Amino acid sequence: MVYGNNTHTTMYQHDGEEIFVIDGHVHLWDATEDNIKHDGGEEFIQCFYDYHTTFTPEARQWDIDEYRRYGADRMVEDLFSNAATDMAIFQPTYLTDFYTEGFNTTEQNAELATEYPERFVLNGTFDPRDGEDGLEYLEELHEKYEIPGVKLYTAEWRDDSKGWRLDDEDAFEFLEKCQELGIENIHAHKGPTIRPLNRDAFDVKDVDDAASSFPELNFIVEHVGLPRLDDFCWIAAQENNVYGGLAVAAPFAQNRPGKFSEIMSELLWWLGEDRVLFGSDYALWNPDWLVEEVLEAELTQEHRAEYGVEWDIETKKKVMGENIAELYDIDIEAKRRAFQDDEISQQFGLEDHYASGEPAAADD
Amino acid sequence: MSERMPDGPTRAAVRDRLDRVTDPELDRSIVDLEYIDSIEIDGEHVSVAFTLPTAWCSPAFAWMMAVDARDEVESLPAVETARITLAEHMHETEINRGVNERLSFAEAFPDADGDVEAVRAELDEKARIARQYDAVETLLEAGLDAETIVDLRLRDFEAADIGPNTAQSGSAGAAIDDETVAIYAADRSFAVSVPAAPLERYLEKARETAVVSESDEKLFRTPEGEPIDPESFDLVHQRGRLAQVNMSSQGGICDGLREARESRLEKTADD
Repeated sequence: MVYGNNTHTTMYQHDGEEIFVIDGHVHLWDATEDNIKHDGGEEFIQCFYDYHTTFTPEARQWDIDEYRRYGADRMVEDLFSNAATDMAIFQPTYLTDFYTEGFNTTEQNAELATEYPERFVLNGTFDPRDGEDGLEYLEELHEKYEIPGVKLYTAEWRDDSKGWRLDDEDAFEFLEKCQELGIENIHAHKGPTIRPLNRDAFDVKDVDDAASSFPELNFIVEHVGLPRLDDFCWIAAQENNVYGGLAVAAPFAQNRPGKFSEIMSELLWWLGEDRVLFGSDYALWNPDWLVEEVLEAELTQEHRAEYGVEWDIETKKKVMGENIAELYDIDIEAKRRAFQDDEISQQFGLEDHYASGEPAAADD
Repeated sequence: MSERMPDGPTRAAVRDRLDRVTDPELDRSIVDLEYIDSIEIDGEHVSVAFTLPTAWCSPAFAWMMAVDARDEVESLPAVETARITLAEHMHETEINRGVNERLSFAEAFPDADGDVEAVRAELDEKARIARQYDAVETLLEAGLDAETIVDLRLRDFEAADIGPNTAQSGSAGAAIDDETVAIYAADRSFAVSVPAAPLERYLEKARETAVVSESDEKLFRTPEGEPIDPESFDLVHQRGRLAQVNMSSQGGICDGLREARESRLEKTADD
């Protein structure tokens, strides 16, 4: 292996059961100095890098230069070479005011997604501040790539604006367009407060109104709203089309296991096991080690007793793949069969692994 | 070196005041969180330097801590001025200038929309909910039931040191840990004695957020500030637990980011 120290060449198995992993949140970004046109771009990647080093085992940390741009080959290797993940969903982050060619656009992601369409799902984006042009762009993405979802970044700067809200009238127009085009999965980044300065642009409360106004759409709140887990869980408990993406919470499993147990217990208590979705946030964190950490994590005795929830094999299967497969109409068994001889499996010698992974027909 | 400069405050007194300043997102003292780098006392002039876990900590939160530190230290009679210096932050220039020149947030950050008070109020309310959880746990452990707890009023608490002016001093340290407070429950038909600290911490925030001010008002509230219906007691209590988990999770992120930054700075220093 070129990059990782892949000691695990088998698919993730727990008690003999195989877990199909769909990484719901990956990026292919370019934060090289040549691509940065605003100080915010440098601050942004440095901030990511701090998160990376904070929650990555020391031996698996990257240096800042490889972190700025890792490229398609390495990404494929990191995701699939040891079958840490079986599929992944691209979530674009444009940031075109910070980066000349954008940070992680649908077009940039498409290069890889179209090369391995059976392994990747490609999402688009919209920004209501773009008005008519934005609606046209959304249609264009739909026509060109048949995007099944969008990733939204409500705190993105644009000219004088320091962000927007999902419950704005303009945003509703775009959500209507999504509904019309069959773009059902709305991923909203709700992460730490950085900018704008005072207004909380990653406030999750705008999801409430949007979710109840568009019951046919699925709203996936990335980073489970941290540091607004409380607001997020409360909204999700009332809106059953609201889901929680585990990016940022997942790597707690590695160096804050007690905290991971507590957060997972809260999520399972408020949302239930059907609405929590795994995502690595690659390359913030690498599924190469993260998937295993999350699967091997345990809830503490105290939390299991307090919340009455379990992080057991059935729950893991749902959170790591089945739940998001449902949202994206992915047939896991068909995928398993297809992966017995697809290009990725041939490249990494995973044919046997998928062949042996076929469960008994009567399993359903 | 004497601890006390002529006519100035003691270092302990300054630390004690700083201990009252919380990181608004975590509801923990900035002294406990080890944000304070140095305290310098020159007669009636005090300088405090502090650093946050990352350079990208919310400027609004950084601003609140800097202003609160200034105001707390200056509330000491022996202090004429407090100078606050935030280091290693992406907006340290604006914050240091604004706080020391006594500008408003809007003046210090012309490109921000409005002031920080709404953000502060929201975080105070979350802190109240999280503190309520501990207070209610204390009462449950003492054997009170849900119906009794939701019916408690401010006047049902009796302790020599619980009053509008003393709750603050009570919150300052661990000294009150073994103190107890009497609660007169069920229309004062019986009393129980419980540890005072969680209740005092709750009362402090309940007063700050103005959900409870009159002695006949119900003490415990939903996150929306309403009295609690006995049927929804469990759910409200679970929301308090959730508010705590949210704060401590964010605390875990902040701790981690600070460790990462420190180890990076050490590595740079070694090169």
